[in-house]
Order: sequence, then structure tokens, then C-alpha cells
Amino acid sequence: MHRMTRFILRRLLHMVPVLFGVTVVVFVTIKLIPGSPIAGLLGPGSTPATRAELINRLGLNKPIPIQYFDWLRSTLEGNFGTSISFQSSAGTLVFNAFRNTMILAGAALILALVGGFVLGAIGALWPKGMAGRVTSAISTFSLAIPQYSAGLLLIVLFSVDHTWLPSGGMHSVTGSTGFADLLRHLVLPALAAGLAPIGVVARMFRAALLDVMGQEFVQSMRARGLRRTTIIRHAIHNTLPALLTITGLQIGYLLSGVVFIETIFSWPGLGQLVYGAISARDLPLIQAGVLISAVAVVLVNVIVDVAHGFIDPRVRQ
Amino acid sequence: MSEATTAYDMAAEVHVTSGQPERRSWHLSRVRALPPGVLIGGGIVSILVIVAIAAPLIAPDDPQAGSLLTRLQGVGTSGHLLGTDGQGRDVLSRLIWGARPSLIAGIVPVAIAGVIGTALGAIAGFGGSRLRTLLMRSLDVLYAFPAILLAIAIGATLGPGLTNVIVSLSVILIPPIARIAESEALRIRSLDFMDAARTSGAGWIRIGLRQVLPNIAPPVIVYCTALVGLAIVYAAGLSFLGLGIVPPQPDWGGTLNDLRNNLFTQPWLSLVPAAAIFIASAAFNILGDGLRELLDVRADRAK
Repeated sequence: MHRMTRFILRRLLHMVPVLFGVTVVVFVTIKLIPGSPIAGLLGPGSTPATRAELINRLGLNKPIPIQYFDWLRSTLEGNFGTSISFQSSAGTLVFNAFRNTMILAGAALILALVGGFVLGAIGALWPKGMAGRVTSAISTFSLAIPQYSAGLLLIVLFSVDHTWLPSGGMHSVTGSTGFADLLRHLVLPALAAGLAPIGVVARMFRAALLDVMGQEFVQSMRARGLRRTTIIRHAIHNTLPALLTITGLQIGYLLSGVVFIETIFSWPGLGQLVYGAISARDLPLIQAGVLISAVAVVLVNVIVDVAHGFIDPRVRQ
Repeated sequence: MSEATTAYDMAAEVHVTSGQPERRSWHLSRVRALPPGVLIGGGIVSILVIVAIAAPLIAPDDPQAGSLLTRLQGVGTSGHLLGTDGQGRDVLSRLIWGARPSLIAGIVPVAIAGVIGTALGAIAGFGGSRLRTLLMRSLDVLYAFPAILLAIAIGATLGPGLTNVIVSLSVILIPPIARIAESEALRIRSLDFMDAARTSGAGWIRIGLRQVLPNIAPPVIVYCTALVGLAIVYAAGLSFLGLGIVPPQPDWGGTLNDLRNNLFTQPWLSLVPAAAIFIASAAFNILGDGLRELLDVRADRAK
């Protein structure tokens, strides 16, 4: 366990320079946005005196590196600034939206893992058969379907002519707003978001399982006359590290790609919040949104690495 | 590839053919022997490129001229084969003209990121461990941002338009390409033929062009081909969000967004531009799979 603790600490230390770089990129990108935030805050009719006062109060007359460290310090204290368009804490807004995004991305991830696992296993265990060919075709094509197209297709199929499933929002405006209602609103967006990852997971899991099935320990189990189901169980156990890598990659992809899904299905998540913040020139909100999602991706990568260490002792070296 | 059995063979090969595989003569039987993915994917890609180039000749209508009398005609209307949009503009003509910016926004960023990413990856792979750590950690920073969110942030900073779409997509595509190039460079840096080339006195420019590039190119090309499919989807997505091609100039993502507004009056019409994006993206994916088979790249290397 001592070695494991050291491994975890080392991974956490590796995270620090990356996170530092992330804050620099976010800060610089926001600084590059054309147009003065002062003019936007005060409107066109402001006097030079009030402008100078606001510039002074916001610290915008200080050198850029000082502004960066001021911003970094208050961010580390958990203060993400005040959203200009909502006039409330940017941090609270982002965290609430992020929770909704996690619900959507989590549901899509479950779909992708279960669907991809089944398709990939069929493809790897019967590579020459009809089932294997069909599943590999499905996984190739599901990759090419953009999430926004999948979303529109699902709305056309399930919400236009019939009202089987709701085409937008997270809860019904009237009536029940319980868990069942949330699930009903979740079906279409989660399917649309999970479609492409199903293909990716299927392809990668298929490759991993084929690789394991060709290794010597599988041959030796076969030679000892073990049942096929037993062999497959051992083989799947050995694809766990690969599955973990795949899962980590998909979480990153889903956190990014749900922007489209959230726009189409009016899902009140982070993508929609940041998109709205950009059209409203709400700089603190953009900063907080992009920063928090990047930090989430970095954390997910660390968790995946640590889980690797738990599963496979060789990784800990 | 030029991976001969002994260092001696390698040195000989370096002198005689400079590590390049022997060029075989062009013959029809070689076309038939191509993997089906190359033929099918390459065929569809060629057709799309020809359509984009020949847009003025084959588009039946002016893509920007609408008529409020012929709004929202369905698919199969006489005179408007794929219907008309909310402003009465011919959807088929908008798709044909839209192929130009949509394909450019898919191909050009991958080409730019391919050159920069390969160069960075090769430098990281062959440089000292400090340089490698510095370069790859810097790219890790870009990698940490969810790709689309970063593209949206850059797009919002620069403003909409084809050039800015190309810039923002190039930025988000550099890190994954650099990773592939770096792992390939690390793989070949200690192989015998590199020593042979160094011993025979070749300079680093010559080694880079004659030994490194031909050896790390195949996996990078395979990966980049599939990335074009993704870039087309991303570029159309940025237009869909209003951060891409500026309307009324036609492009696939923008057309999709136009027709989305009429989803409940003409539901199937909005699937027409979606199908164009799907076909183009799938064609590049199929071509990438075919090239992987043709160039014998292991699947797990270019995920």
C-alpha cells in the first residue's frame, strides 16, 4: 500500500503544472476577446471619470501578470467572480449547470459502455460470423453520425408526429417533476449523445478482447480443456485496463460533445450556459465554465490513472 | 517499411535507396488489389470534391435566391428535388455550394494540425528528455480542455467566419496528432537504421526527411484521414451554433440549423443536410480504415 500511496501522490503532483497551464490559457483567451469589458458594463453614455473609477476598482490598470495572479488567488479561494448577465455568483451558476451536464453525460456513458461492450464482445468472439460483421459495420457508422444529427433524427422519430417522449427540457413545466419525469426527458438526449461513443467503445473493446484472446495464457486454458465461457471470463478480466482507458477518453469526449445536445434539447447544462455567456459577453461566466470543465477533465484523467494502478501493479512502478 | 534484419542491410539500404521502399510500376491489377475501404471511401470523397469544385455547373438554382411563395416545399417537389428551406431557397443547391466551405473547414485544419503536430511530435520524440517533457506537458494543457468547448471559446474570441473556424479547429487537433507522432518517433529512434544513417554521416535535416518522415508518416496519415471526418462534423457543429460560416453563405451546418427551426412543419427536410454531413464524415472514416489496411498500421496505435 505504501507504493500505492506514493503512486497516487506522484500522479497528483503531475497534475499541478497542467492545471497551472490551464489557468494561464483561460486567462489569456479571455484577455484576447476584442472589445473592452468596461464599455459593456457601463454602456455607451458613461463619463470618462466613471470609466476610470471602474477600471481602477476592477484592477484593470495593473500589469497583466499581476492581474493574472490576483485572479488566480481569488479563484483558488473559490471565488469565481460575479456573472454579468445573471448578477449572481458565476461559481454557483457553473456548478449547478455542471451537475445537469453530469446527469446527461453519465446516462450517455452508461449507454455507451453497455452497448459498446455487447457489440465489441460479439465482434471479437465471432469475428467471421454475420453478427461480427454487422456489429463492426454498426460501430463504423455510429462514429460518423454527428450528435446534433442524431438528436434531430430522434426528435423527428419520437416527438414530432407522436408525443412519445419530450423533445426538450429537463423536467415537465406542469405536473410531476419526480425521478420518472427526469428519466423520460433524459432518454432522447442521452441516446443522441451516446450513439457515437457506442461505436468507439465497441471498436476499442473488440480490438482489446481480440488481442487478449490471442495471448498464450488463453491458449493454455484452451489446451487444458476449460469451458469457453470460463476462458472468456478470464479474457474479459484481462481487458479491464483497456476498458478503463476507453472510459476515461469517453468521459472527456462526452463532456465536450454534449454542448450540441444541450442546445438541441434545451438541457440546462454547462454547454448551454457557456454558449449563452459567449453571446452575452459574460466574461466571468465563460472563465468559470471553461476552467471548471477543464479541471474536471484533468481530475478524470488522474482518477483513471490511479484506478489503473489499483488494477495493474505494473503501472505503479 | 525499411526494417531490414541486420544493421549491415540497413546501411546498404541507406546508401542505395535512402530508406525509401522500391517504387513498383503502376498497373491496373494494383488498383483491384486495393482494400475495399480505399476504393469505397476514396470514391465517395472524390465525388464530393468534384461536386464542390463543379458547384456553379451542377447546382440547379441560385443557393441564395429564395421566394416566399415556395417556402418549405418537401423532398421530391418538382423543380426542387430536395425541397426548399424557410426562405424558399433550393436545399439541393445550398448543399452543393455548401460542400465547398464544409469540406475546406474539414480538410484544411487537419492539414495544418498534421504538419505542426507531426513536427512537434517528432521534435519531442527525438529531443532530450527535458525538451520532450516541456513540449508534451504543454500539449497536455490543451488536451485538458473539452475539445468543442475550447473551439467554441476560441471561435467566440475570434468571431465567426471560415478562417477562424480553421484556426480554432487546428488548435484543438494539434495535441492528438502530436501524441501519435511522438510515440512513433520514440519507437524508431533507437532502431538500427537510424544508427546506420547517423554513422554514414547524414545531417539531421536529411535524416528527418529520409528516415524519420517516411517511417512516422503512415500512422499519422491514417489517423489524420479519420480526423478529417471528425473535423467536418465539428466544423458543421460550429456553424450549427452560429460560430462558423456566416449566413447567408451556404454550408452544411448552417443549413441544418436553418431547417431545425422548421422541424415541426417539415421534419424530414432537416435530415437532408444531416445526411450530407454523415456521408462525408463516414467516407473519410472508411477511407482511413482502408488506408490502415493498405499501409499496414496496427489498429491500436492510431486509436
